[in-house]
Amino acid sequence: MDICSKCGNPNIVIKRKASGQALCQDCFIESIEKKVIKTIKKENLLQKGDKVMVALSGGKDSVATLEILNSYVERHFIELCACTIDEGIKGYRQEGVDIAKRHAKRLGIEHQILSFKDAFDIDLDEIMNVPDHRGACTYCGVFRRWLINRAARDMGATKIATGHNLDDEAEAIMMNYLEGNIGNLVKIGPITESKSELFTPKIKPLREIPEREVGLYALSKGLEIHLDGCPYAQQSFRMEVGNVLKDLTPEHPTIMYSTLRGFDKMRPVIREELTEPFEFDRCEICGEPSSNKVCRACTFLKELGHSPNLDYF
Amino acid sequence: MIFMTFKLEYNEINEDKELNGKTTILNVLDDLEVSPQTIVAKKNDQIVSEDAEINDGDTIKLIQIIYGG
Repeated sequence: MDICSKCGNPNIVIKRKASGQALCQDCFIESIEKKVIKTIKKENLLQKGDKVMVALSGGKDSVATLEILNSYVERHFIELCACTIDEGIKGYRQEGVDIAKRHAKRLGIEHQILSFKDAFDIDLDEIMNVPDHRGACTYCGVFRRWLINRAARDMGATKIATGHNLDDEAEAIMMNYLEGNIGNLVKIGPITESKSELFTPKIKPLREIPEREVGLYALSKGLEIHLDGCPYAQQSFRMEVGNVLKDLTPEHPTIMYSTLRGFDKMRPVIREELTEPFEFDRCEICGEPSSNKVCRACTFLKELGHSPNLDYF
Repeated sequence: MIFMTFKLEYNEINEDKELNGKTTILNVLDDLEVSPQTIVAKKNDQIVSEDAEINDGDTIKLIQIIYGG
């Protein structure tokens, strides 16, 4: 029987295929936290005095992010706040929102809960009833990001932290490469910034942690997480790419790591060669930075016969 | 004849299963056609790796943490 490679405890919670390393609960927790801290240091994700807004869905990734970033608050390095988006999915979303509320309360941090319904006068369930709609995921991501960007400015945050994990990043890299979407490859990275002062930089502290290990971390720490899958999640190209990577992983356990590593090496070169001069404009409807006259959120809302509630904040 | 059994909880499944010989969490996952990548297993409320052996009277809970595909 395996014992913990670090301390010899016979109660192991994971055996990593890539390294053969077996870890007990405490040593596993420590290894995850150490890895995230290393990412934050290596990629310069945090500066002293940062006010970090965690995009907190209540799921395993955002809850884990909140927990680990909280250790920086305890060391008086940063300030934390959170924003939860309620897309309005009956029988599913409320649980995540409630879990997010409890975590924010437990940590004593400022917490904004924003809803599609209040911001746009239409929620995701209602959008799904509109004929010829574009599919749930298309609207969801665009509207969430619109709200997150505005919330960050409203809360005076200097950084937005998301729970993107290794699986997410590897999928994004492969998706965009396979589609020849080099423009998007330029944008993927541990920190997303923009020349526009209306954009708050987004950081991804969990980017080197495999998705399963994020879940294991949250459960090991006894953190309450929303476990259900979104009822609108449908077969998408991202999912197909994700399945390919997940299918390769048993025989090639380091494949997601190597995808990320290789990409990180290419990143500076791609950026230098391929970044197009960003001529940013502001959406004529909502004022958000946009490379077009009307931003995507407002374009979608227009199609749905709605417009954003600009007094929401 | 004494039957050795364990309790299995996974999503809607909540039943007693017979233990036939050496059985690990991974064996149970293979039977269910569930990828170990998508779940975290608990044995008597303690998180265990998929190599953990199941004994008579154990309660095994499989928690799905990854969805899709």
